[in-house]
Amino acid sequence: MASLPKRIIKETERLVTDPVPGITAEPHDDNLRYFKVTIEGPAGSPYENGLFNLELYLPDDYPMEAPKVRFLTKIYHPNIDRLGRICLDILKTNWSPALQIRTVLLSVQALLASPNPNDPLANDVAEDWIKNEQGAKAKAKEWTALYAKK
Amino acid sequence: MGNVPTKLDQDGNPIEPVSRPGYPSGTTGPSSTGTTISTQSGNDTKTRNRRASSLVSSFLNTGNRYRSGSMQDGTYHSPHKRRSTKEKEQLKEQHARNILVKYDESVDGGFMAPFGSYSYDKLDYDTTVVKSLIIQRRLAPFYTPLQDFDSSWSREELLKIVDGLPLHASFDENPEEFEDIPIGDLNKSNFDHLINKNVSKKEYRNMHSKIFKARLYRKRIIWQETENESFLETKLEVREGKAQNSYLPSDDLKFDLYSNGSECPICFLYFPEPLNYSKCCQQPICTECFVQIKRAEPHFPHEEVDPTKPIKDDSEKDPNLLTSEPSNCPYCATANFSIVYTPPLTRKVGIQGIPPARYISSEINPEIIEPLQKDKNENVTTPISNNIVSSDDIRPDWETKLNKERIRLARRSANATAIHVSNQLIDPDYTSTSNDTTMSSSKRSTNTTSRHGSNSASRGSRQRSRQSMNDLENQMIQEAIRLSLEDEQQNKSPKKK
Repeated sequence: MASLPKRIIKETERLVTDPVPGITAEPHDDNLRYFKVTIEGPAGSPYENGLFNLELYLPDDYPMEAPKVRFLTKIYHPNIDRLGRICLDILKTNWSPALQIRTVLLSVQALLASPNPNDPLANDVAEDWIKNEQGAKAKAKEWTALYAKK
Repeated sequence: MGNVPTKLDQDGNPIEPVSRPGYPSGTTGPSSTGTTISTQSGNDTKTRNRRASSLVSSFLNTGNRYRSGSMQDGTYHSPHKRRSTKEKEQLKEQHARNILVKYDESVDGGFMAPFGSYSYDKLDYDTTVVKSLIIQRRLAPFYTPLQDFDSSWSREELLKIVDGLPLHASFDENPEEFEDIPIGDLNKSNFDHLINKNVSKKEYRNMHSKIFKARLYRKRIIWQETENESFLETKLEVREGKAQNSYLPSDDLKFDLYSNGSECPICFLYFPEPLNYSKCCQQPICTECFVQIKRAEPHFPHEEVDPTKPIKDDSEKDPNLLTSEPSNCPYCATANFSIVYTPPLTRKVGIQGIPPARYISSEINPEIIEPLQKDKNENVTTPISNNIVSSDDIRPDWETKLNKERIRLARRSANATAIHVSNQLIDPDYTSTSNDTTMSSSKRSTNTTSRHGSNSASRGSRQRSRQSMNDLENQMIQEAIRLSLEDEQQNKSPKKK
């Protein structure tokens, strides 16, 4: 594999020296493009008090191509499916090379605070969210306690 | 996009003498030839002229008007003729040659081709356009980046680091993609003997293109390494006092370049100022990152969907809905990303400037001021000089690509429909079975039953071929009846409920 671009090296360094509150991201020893990520559930959301594990991978064309991010912890959310895949515009069509690992993870955290059931990835969850928001939120809270214990 | 034809357009010869002898200067990249096709088949030259969104489109319009002129250099093709594989491969080789970094082709201390921070596959911009923009000082040259910069470095330390900079980033000599692909003798243009003759046509083509790619990759490394060696040798000779070379930058130039630089916010590498700046939000971007930014591949517009309804498959959508928006500014997401570049006034060296070796840093350099003043006069005679360069300008083939994709999709769905219809019409078994089921289910239309009954005993192929026209007509009528009966039943059934 070609050597690691300077950008990835610098981003990793800055993530360590200047971490984002509520978010951790550490590269694997054997693959510096692969990060182990944790995100705290935002306060006031059904995911509060949860700690979610994610994986983040920087593809060869990063930063021209978006990082691949996936939830490893089970989560009840209209924009996150059973496999942990995330429906977030900046991870797809609205990706910009000026975004960074840091900004991506902040956006994922923001998605937890404000789900968008009108642009769903998990259809059943989204339907539930639209028809019975209170019930859906209760279930999300329940799953958080069940799977995302700190 | 308010770009207006440049002065070059009026000359009818927009390509500056970029190349050294041996490399045809008027050669257009594969992409710009593609635009020629769309310009002509589109036959709305008026709108195109009005838009004249890029140097190249204006250049190509010129080319169309004077078709007997400089466009006839072997890369021009009739719009109605498809390019052969060989022609396409020649264009690809030419493109690879155009992105070689050469120390003796420089502008203001930077080069005409990228250092190599991004993979070769992604360097699909129009090299001719980019080179001429760099020479016109409308786009920053491709500077060799520094991995890091420390403002505490002394002049000597900085010069030492700059002297050690290579022309091009190191290559991945054996990429996974080309593992186990034979490349044969690169000096011989024919490599058909490398492919097993017994494979299918499709497989053969596949293999051919893979080998071509692997060979081109290898060739490009060799070509660039030749450039690197000649750069190194010249540097050594000059250092030992054996020779003089006007292309190598003077110490003053190296120091002035790199002592005053900044970090590109996208690749995080350190470049000499001035960089390009986004037109919308004034953020810096190096040229190597700028040429990476392009439209997304043609796609259907993203819709917010109702989760309670089934999602429409892409194949059911109208191919004309395929879109491709101009790229957005990476910093502020303003549509149609464009940059503005203000060339350094005290550093006009290289092509159309003084030799890099003769550069002396000083506030007032008479040798530099002179060509600049001349340029200013030229600007007076040229009515409009536009210093904005958009992402579309350097990939003028986006429209052709979009149309191609639309046609491909339309053709695919037309094929599917045609196959479906012909199955119904031509295959007698297909229709007769459906007739039989119609009979059994409806048991009405007595005239067809009797007629069909007499035939059904001897439904051999001989009789069918003799009466095929008759049968076909009958079957079509029966099919029509069946469909109308079905419709009627469907209309009735909800009322019953």
